[in-house]
Amino acid sequence: MGHHLTIHATRQCDVLIIGAGGAGLRCAVHLLEKRPDLKILAVTKVAHPQKSHTSTAQGGLAAVDPRDKTDKPIYHMFDTWKGGDCTSDQDVVKRIVEGGWEEIQWLERRGMHLSRNDEGNISKRQFGGHTIEFGKGDSFRAVFEADRTGKGIMDTAWGEALKRGTVFLNFSVATEILFQEGACAGAVLFNFKDGEFTKVLAKTTVLATGGSGQVYRITTNCRGNTGDGLAVILRAGLPIMDAEAVQFHPTGIVGPGILASEALRSEGGILRNKDLEPFMERYAPKMKDLAPRDIVARSIETEIREGRGIMNPDHQIEHVWIDLRHLSAYVHEVKLKEVASFFKTYTNLDSRTQLCPVRPSNHYHMGGIPTNADGAVQRSAEEIIPGLFAIGECACASFHGFNRLGTNSLLELLVMGKAAGECVLSYLKDGRIADPAGAGEQTLSRFSGYLAARGTENTGKIRLEMRDMMTKKVGVFRNERDMREAVAALEEYRRRSAGAAIATQGLRTNQELLERWELDNLLDVAMVIAQGAIMRQESRGAHFREDFPERSDAFQFHNIESMTEFGKVLFARRPVDMSLQTAGDAHSDHFKVIPRKY
Amino acid sequence: MRTNVKEKTMSQTYKLTLTIRRYDPDGDKSWDQTYELEAGAILRFVDLFRRINVEQDATLTWVSSCEHGQCGSCSVQVNGRPMLACELLVENAVALFGTTRFRIEPVTVAPVVRDLVVDWEQAYERVHRAKPYVIRPIEPPPGVTELQISPKEIARYEDATRCINCFCCATACISTHRNFIGPNAAMASVVRLMDSREEEKDERLALLYSEEGVYRCHTSKACTHVCPKKIDVAHFIALAKEGAF
Repeated sequence: MGHHLTIHATRQCDVLIIGAGGAGLRCAVHLLEKRPDLKILAVTKVAHPQKSHTSTAQGGLAAVDPRDKTDKPIYHMFDTWKGGDCTSDQDVVKRIVEGGWEEIQWLERRGMHLSRNDEGNISKRQFGGHTIEFGKGDSFRAVFEADRTGKGIMDTAWGEALKRGTVFLNFSVATEILFQEGACAGAVLFNFKDGEFTKVLAKTTVLATGGSGQVYRITTNCRGNTGDGLAVILRAGLPIMDAEAVQFHPTGIVGPGILASEALRSEGGILRNKDLEPFMERYAPKMKDLAPRDIVARSIETEIREGRGIMNPDHQIEHVWIDLRHLSAYVHEVKLKEVASFFKTYTNLDSRTQLCPVRPSNHYHMGGIPTNADGAVQRSAEEIIPGLFAIGECACASFHGFNRLGTNSLLELLVMGKAAGECVLSYLKDGRIADPAGAGEQTLSRFSGYLAARGTENTGKIRLEMRDMMTKKVGVFRNERDMREAVAALEEYRRRSAGAAIATQGLRTNQELLERWELDNLLDVAMVIAQGAIMRQESRGAHFREDFPERSDAFQFHNIESMTEFGKVLFARRPVDMSLQTAGDAHSDHFKVIPRKY
Repeated sequence: MRTNVKEKTMSQTYKLTLTIRRYDPDGDKSWDQTYELEAGAILRFVDLFRRINVEQDATLTWVSSCEHGQCGSCSVQVNGRPMLACELLVENAVALFGTTRFRIEPVTVAPVVRDLVVDWEQAYERVHRAKPYVIRPIEPPPGVTELQISPKEIARYEDATRCINCFCCATACISTHRNFIGPNAAMASVVRLMDSREEEKDERLALLYSEEGVYRCHTSKACTHVCPKKIDVAHFIALAKEGAF
């Protein structure tokens, strides 16, 4: 028995953009500014593009102001290279950093409400890891819109996309990428509001599906960030890159994992364990609570693992405290207003008089779909797929290497959105796209399989168990034994998922069906993360192996990872681009493989 | 000085009764369904929905995205009051409504597609009509790449730019359901009337003073009262009524 699913309609467009967050819509708007005649279809999983994850970015957007006498793009390039633990591609770093200020002007002219100084000029703030003169001093290069920079960018991008006639498809996901003679020919979409499958034939397709934070239980990411783009790419037989490079923010608010900014500690907040001991003194005697993100995250995890954490009874999540009680009323009410209000809203605690619960929270996926500096998706280090692009968090160009600096993600999605748009223009030839044979079969058989499944398993329960397991075994600390167990557990979840029956059989707004598909995506991405992390027998940036605590030159490459059969991950290598180092100019020495010490 | 170590590590739970308005588009059927659950003090209503999905009923359908009050996807009515389900903690809900029984319904700004999910495209259509962008940007003087805007000028309308279009105001508004374009949509246009970078003032004024414009507002100020972002929405509508941009 079961459903006979069909493709409801076939549509044609010039450019299909899958994911209408900051990257996708920056790309759409660039295209429409150059070619107002283009038919652009922008697909978003959320209710409306404004609801995208980009909107949640708080702190800022890094860009070197050409009028700033103290700052230079080369300093920003160095910070990015060093911060990424020497695994960023230098051609990409150069391109993105040099494109920064143009994007600020672009946003400003189109109505973003950037914060201003007393003279009315665009304000800038300091941010961790951003320096001048190759680490000598702090730089002020993060422009911002109060504490809602991402929202400012998102509102500008969707407003402009709307103004210029982008066609939006909301509550929709791409389930299959289509190919014709090796080139991308579009995608199959599932509009889960209306319950319809659509085949879209497009001259070019841009993937901008965002992150995969839902792989982990404690995450700052949206509910829909389930690594869909990566999973769809893997199913097309294409690789992803450096999947093991996952960033954890040291202080997520318990339970949901909401980001509690670095500012808590820079203003004087002290981390304490269950005995109220200020434990950072033991791990970083000099810098204490101001040590870099990854060190603080590992210190907190160690406290929790060694039994000095506190269990939150409501969420059943272990944490440590951050003590802000000694800070002045001004700090609480002005400087930390937003974070203080998060503690109030989500834990009902007053940070002026009470200790607040925090723990490391998954934050960003540096790894993703491998692309060149134009955002063109690669089949291998040498070969691109004509007509297919990937930008934003789902992509890996790689700008961030193995550890992303704060404020660099917003910069990346804008510059790469525009860069991909520029390159897309060259693919837009006249004529119709042929309809590839068998298009949609994979999708329809997958979804009818979900609907026909029988058993007593619950998709949501497996998802929760998987997220909890990944947080424990492939999180801040990694070692071979735990990760082998993780791989076995993922196999077991996969086996169990086949017995998850779907009670709602109608296709319209079928949350069970969508979440069943998401579970497959999460399992696929988690499997590649786990195996990539096992393969990489070293510690690099955010990837920390207890059994291999040092960075190793033997792993000075990008991991190209493919998985056509669940659990069988194949590896290849892509060299790290060293073009700034080989340029042989006055600054080249700063772009060698250098120690990441602060 | 309170350390709250004890009080926050002791489990305090509430026995809750959630009556949720359901709608099944396949059978075109509506009904109330009651779920009983015991939950800790700081669980959010989105956590409760998720628990119902895992423990009791996988078919209950609801929407959320960021789950920390930044996107405005999870708006629902709790005991008749429009709120973000991600921001409502169990103990706060009990304190606010003085009960452990809650009736949860979808927001009323668009047709329901299933259970607590409404057709957001129809809701947003009003905002799109208000043109939430700069229609005609001013030309900066030659050689000027970035305009100067004083913080004082921005401060006059900055609060309105914090709107996330959760439509809680439009749900609470006594005029939206008839012929008013709605508080959030009107406010989107007011922002650009106050933004010195916008040249196209006439088209915006025409909308705000049209048949669906601000004079449809009855000044109940329900919008301000329910706004999860604590924006004084009524203030911006009042500015439009006065023409005091």
